[in-house]
Amino acid sequence: MRSRRVQALVVLLLFGVVKLPIEQVVSAKMKEARMLQGSLDLGLWENLGQMGFAASLGGLRALVAGVTYMQAYVAFEDIEWAKVDSLFQLTSRLQPHDVSYWDEGAWHMAYNAASNYLHSDRVEPIMRGKLYHAHIERGIRILEDGLRYNPDNVRLLSRLGDIYSKRKLDPVKAGETYEKVSTFEGLERYGRFAAYEYLKTTDRALWKRSYDLLMASYKRDGKKFPSVIDGIKELEKRLAIPFMQWIPEKGSGKGPVAPVQPMDLPATR
Amino acid sequence: METELKRVGGGFSVSRVWTMAAATVTQLVRMRILVFLVVLSAIVVAAGFMFPVFSAEQQLKMLKYVSFGALQFFSLVLAIVATALLLPKDIEDRTLYTILSKPVPRVEYLLGKFFGVMLLIGGGLILMDVLLCAVLHLRQSLVLAQELAFLKQGHATAEELAVEAARIEAQGVGWSLQIGVLAVFLKAGVVTALALMISCFASSTLFTVITTFCVCIIGQGQELIREFFFHRTFDAAGEKIASGLFAVLVPDLRLFDVIDQVVAGDEVAGGAALFMTGAGLLYMAGYLVVAHLLFVEKEL
Repeated sequence: MRSRRVQALVVLLLFGVVKLPIEQVVSAKMKEARMLQGSLDLGLWENLGQMGFAASLGGLRALVAGVTYMQAYVAFEDIEWAKVDSLFQLTSRLQPHDVSYWDEGAWHMAYNAASNYLHSDRVEPIMRGKLYHAHIERGIRILEDGLRYNPDNVRLLSRLGDIYSKRKLDPVKAGETYEKVSTFEGLERYGRFAAYEYLKTTDRALWKRSYDLLMASYKRDGKKFPSVIDGIKELEKRLAIPFMQWIPEKGSGKGPVAPVQPMDLPATR
Repeated sequence: METELKRVGGGFSVSRVWTMAAATVTQLVRMRILVFLVVLSAIVVAAGFMFPVFSAEQQLKMLKYVSFGALQFFSLVLAIVATALLLPKDIEDRTLYTILSKPVPRVEYLLGKFFGVMLLIGGGLILMDVLLCAVLHLRQSLVLAQELAFLKQGHATAEELAVEAARIEAQGVGWSLQIGVLAVFLKAGVVTALALMISCFASSTLFTVITTFCVCIIGQGQELIREFFFHRTFDAAGEKIASGLFAVLVPDLRLFDVIDQVVAGDEVAGGAALFMTGAGLLYMAGYLVVAHLLFVEKEL
């Protein structure tokens, strides 16, 4: 009887020693395939409370994130922006590879909270602008944090470009961000968005970049986008592009136009 | 006659294991454990129609969060409690003596109990998975139609419609969802084997339940303990021994936590799923061998 128990203990210990390197390998392989997340940040203990932390450790991390997301939604309905921010921070830390949380958290701050403060009667007029800009910055920081966990994620990058473009009104950074998105397969249209942003700047080098991007779009899509033609026509003047390299005007023909050959221009114009 | 009995009793019989497993399923069903399954299934269906104010993508995610939470809860509670109840119940009813007085090796009895619990968990998970897929598919079709109609009203471009449709479709029924269910099943299998092993030396059902539950919690943080053991310079020998013992004795249950990726709508790599399955089978085999060694000479 005793010998069997000793045998059982020895087998259990041997099995434990053998399994350790196997666990390391399997864990590494699964992380490589992005099937496993990193370990839970022990700093979340205070925010989650004992039950939430235990549940997260107990394999119900996604469910706990769902609960904190719902709490964030309730805070949004109650227009408690600080609470929305902290709960989204908690949710996205629990599920750092779920980009929708970073995206939505940033959207709440840069759009909803910022606009709410700008038009709020409860806030002193002198503070409104300050809070508006502070929340746009907060939205940007959330996306930057998200991009640290999910480098080169197109959803986060495009949202960042949108915030730089429509909220921060920083066309240089918006253009750079959109241009980065355009390097991903199937997202060439973001090159066009980058060009529109560069067009808003006063930097001649960026106008040249804008012209190149718009010409690339024009060669790819022809006359499909009137704003591309408008942009090119504007840049032809700003950059003093030689007349022979100008493209036809918007209403001068139907359907896509082949790449422009200088010799064709006089006939089409 | 005596020689024949010895031969039959000594040899391993798959059909006897199957009979034991089927009897275990019947035994557990009679304990009205399936009421628990009905309640959790109702939660899955209800989750499909809750949260209507969220965005389309989040509605589907919440459905998956709640459903997978229910699947995990069902499988783990069943794995711990049902397994902890089996041996003491058989001893109390004296069924164990009747079975073991026949030419049934103890290993077959143990495997029969294990596979019985696994059959019940597997059956329950399949039922809940079918229900989850049906509700998710229905909900996805509804929110996709609503979202596209809304965007068309707002004169969204074809590109914007395609992006939104792809985003919603990524949250629908797919193979990664099935791998998520497989992960829940494997984790339940490991916990069942562990609970069976503990119940072979435990003095009471409560001891088995509490000990297995604690091991499960530690198992979820096992990676932290292993990292601590492998990569930290120790100041005290006691720390090293303690972390080493935890790392050796406790399974790494986080290897089965692929649900986070599944719910996020990410594709799950087939190769990594094979590694996960291999690890699960290894744990089950290891703990069953130890359980057998403990049970084979247990005084009943």
